[in-house]
Amino acid sequence: MADLPDHLTLRHNRDREGAWDLKVRRVAAGIVLAIVLLGAINVFGQRPTTSNASAPPASLEVYAPTRARAGLYYMARFTIRAREDVAKATLVLDPGWAEAITINTIEPSPIGEGSDNGRLVLELGHIPAGQKYVLYMHLQINPTNVGHRSQDVELRDGDTVLARVDRTITLFP
Amino acid sequence: MDIVFRAITLFLFVWLVTRAVGRRELSTLQPFDLILLIVLGDLIQQGVTQNDFSVTGAMLAGGTFALMTVLLSWLGFRFTRLQPILEGDPVIIVERGKPVERNLRRNRITLEEVAAQARIQQGIAHIDDVEWAVLETSGQISFIKKAA
Repeated sequence: MADLPDHLTLRHNRDREGAWDLKVRRVAAGIVLAIVLLGAINVFGQRPTTSNASAPPASLEVYAPTRARAGLYYMARFTIRAREDVAKATLVLDPGWAEAITINTIEPSPIGEGSDNGRLVLELGHIPAGQKYVLYMHLQINPTNVGHRSQDVELRDGDTVLARVDRTITLFP
Repeated sequence: MDIVFRAITLFLFVWLVTRAVGRRELSTLQPFDLILLIVLGDLIQQGVTQNDFSVTGAMLAGGTFALMTVLLSWLGFRFTRLQPILEGDPVIIVERGKPVERNLRRNRITLEEVAAQARIQQGIAHIDDVEWAVLETSGQISFIKKAA
């Protein structure tokens, strides 16, 4: 009868008493499973969410992800519903919309662009009462962009603030 | 700089995946396993280098993976207590011609697979003729025949 091979013991290698590798395997499987499950429930993005702000003259709806991962392409949709005439509709976006994010396109193109104390100003023009204005932005997050960024959006009529949506985007590596 | 950190993170994730998947699946390389490994490599590469097509980027990522491999190997060598955590332990799956069912089940190996490996590796026709069969940390099964 052949002896047990060198460095093996029945207690450890057959009965697996005090064996760490099985525990490590289970923990590793648990971590991998947790990562996948968290991903499935949108913890790492990029399912879009809708944020609203409303005022008597107009309402603003922002539809965009609040969690995303570095390198991803995504779309943000801004919907303005004018209940009254908005003569000089303007969207003012926090720098987080452009900081380490490539803006591929904005459609329809704003009639004017500018800066208001570091924030992006997009002039949209006149929106008649009862009309809806939809602005699409297509963006790509730069691969090195990680962390939280404020993405507040203000709807103004000229210099008058009509509605404000507070948003933050969380960017995962 | 961040390419190095991405490479370290994904190296550790790959290590975690290989520990979770189990040694047997990774060593047998059935057609499906082989394709799975290639796909996994491709997915990991995108996460490490992303849009970086530079030679420097490839050197940084490759270098980090190589150094991490050496580090894990050194840790296992220097601190032998870490070896079961890093690489696992050899597991006895056949003892004096009798399968150790619990260990086979835990490693998702059927007796038919053991018998097939015995035939392929050592020309052993019957499990009864095996004194010891050990699932090694590499995922290979080693066989020691009963003395004639």
